[in-house]
Amino acid sequence: MLAVYKRELASYFRSPVGYIALALFSFLSGFLFINQYSNGSVNISTEIMSLCSFFVVIIPVITMGLFSEDKKRGTEVLFYTNPLSLFDVVMGKFLAAMTLIAILFINVFLHMIITAASGGVVNIGSWGSVIVYFCLAILFTSIGILASALTDTQIISAIISFVIILVIQLLQTISTIASSALSSLLSSSLFALDPEKVNSVCSNIAAAINWLSPFSKTQDFRYGVFSVSPLVFCLSMALVFLFLTYRILEKKRWSQN
Amino acid sequence: MIEINNLVKRYGDIKAVNGISFTVNDGEVLGFLGPNGAGKSTTMNIITGYLSSTSGTVKVNGHDILEEPEEAKKCIGYLPEQPPLYFDMTVLEYLNFICDLKKVPRSERKEQLASILSMIKLTDMADRLIGNLSKGYKQRVGIAQALVGNPDILILDEPTVGLDPNQILEIRKLIRKLADKHTVILSSHILSEIQAVCDRVVIINAGKVAAIDTITDLSQKLSGTTKLSLSFKGPSKEVINKIRSIPGVSNVVPVVSNEDTSIHQVEITADSSAKNDVRTSVFYAMSKGGWPMLEFRSMDPSLEEIFLSITSV
Repeated sequence: MLAVYKRELASYFRSPVGYIALALFSFLSGFLFINQYSNGSVNISTEIMSLCSFFVVIIPVITMGLFSEDKKRGTEVLFYTNPLSLFDVVMGKFLAAMTLIAILFINVFLHMIITAASGGVVNIGSWGSVIVYFCLAILFTSIGILASALTDTQIISAIISFVIILVIQLLQTISTIASSALSSLLSSSLFALDPEKVNSVCSNIAAAINWLSPFSKTQDFRYGVFSVSPLVFCLSMALVFLFLTYRILEKKRWSQN
Repeated sequence: MIEINNLVKRYGDIKAVNGISFTVNDGEVLGFLGPNGAGKSTTMNIITGYLSSTSGTVKVNGHDILEEPEEAKKCIGYLPEQPPLYFDMTVLEYLNFICDLKKVPRSERKEQLASILSMIKLTDMADRLIGNLSKGYKQRVGIAQALVGNPDILILDEPTVGLDPNQILEIRKLIRKLADKHTVILSSHILSEIQAVCDRVVIINAGKVAAIDTITDLSQKLSGTTKLSLSFKGPSKEVINKIRSIPGVSNVVPVVSNEDTSIHQVEITADSSAKNDVRTSVFYAMSKGGWPMLEFRSMDPSLEEIFLSITSV
């Protein structure tokens, strides 16, 4: 695992990918921070939450090459023919991507230090946001890794993970739109249904879709209200995606077509 | 030692490998020969654990590749058709990474890499990016990669493909050298290569073993006749008739004729079981007639011919 981890992490900085991600992230976080700072009041949570909504671009860029490049170059043979387990390979690559994301986060730590030093507020809510940042990063990175194991083209892998992360990000919006569309359809005179029942069905559907959103699950963290279930949700989903990645790699060996 | 028993690999309805069995002994260089799509690479991929077989077993030094993959894989160094190289690493970084993958202890690493690099003649290139190396050097890095961890068995899939003639000769020399300490399985469709390097050949066709034998035995088995090529200066018809009349000669075919210089070349087919060597008779007949012989050589069946006669049946 360590061998793969070291190679992947180093390869981020041998190619432009690591530097592009670093530049992009530094620019975005710096912009968000300076905007608040010049207004005289800084809320670190707001900055982190805005950054999380840029995961949809940053994480596909970070993860797109992880397996697809190996497939294209033929270097994946190394993982199958050397004495190591494929799950170690998946974990090594995952941890390398997470390390890069953690390196990106150094920016925000600097902003926290600056804020605290100039008399601003860095409270429990800020640290809650930090937890949310890493939870979402773990979840989305595992999705990105799965996408890169599905194809041997970096761009296609990036598009797949971009779309999935985008949908997850929009789940809250999707739930409102879906329920209101459904309620206007069902309450039309065509069906002649009890409007109370229609309302309860639609709100339940909205709640069900919303339940899937890691964003709505973790939204209270920034106010310092913690709970375990969102963490379990993100981590277990991430494990599922990593396990699927491992199965896809295994399948290649057994595939009969 | 590798024991392969009744190996089958199915792709949908097609059996890419259909019941292959053979054994590779310690210290042997085994050539693996077959037309494109015969199942060479698939078989090698199964032996190395890259693919799994539909049925059948592969045992590497007594370890089953599916049941004890780690033990089996430790014994094998594999160079696939496309060398698995990271173009963004230097040669040394890459080989260190392979050491990590093969779990070579840190204490042995420096020494081992130095000896591999000097054997493959890569020492000068150690700090160059792999992506910037020529194709021949990339191939060498691929071989170096297979040698890391000092495996007993080397499996090389078409190691000389796409190289220039000089590089081919060097790689062949290298393989011969490696054969002193390793068991080598080598696939190729450059047939003279197998002839030059291997002790034994396995010929496969359409997923099945067509023949397993040493190269000398194989050529003897296949030819009840010997072929001789003769160039001479003289009247072609008269000479051909004269040679035809020699006992043991079954056929004489003119190959090249040049009436202006009266230099001709013929191919003589002779019964190799005949006790008197036709070559002496041909020599005396030519000298009696006063026809100078310009070239006279025996044409042993090349692997190409053996190969064609086996695979086209």
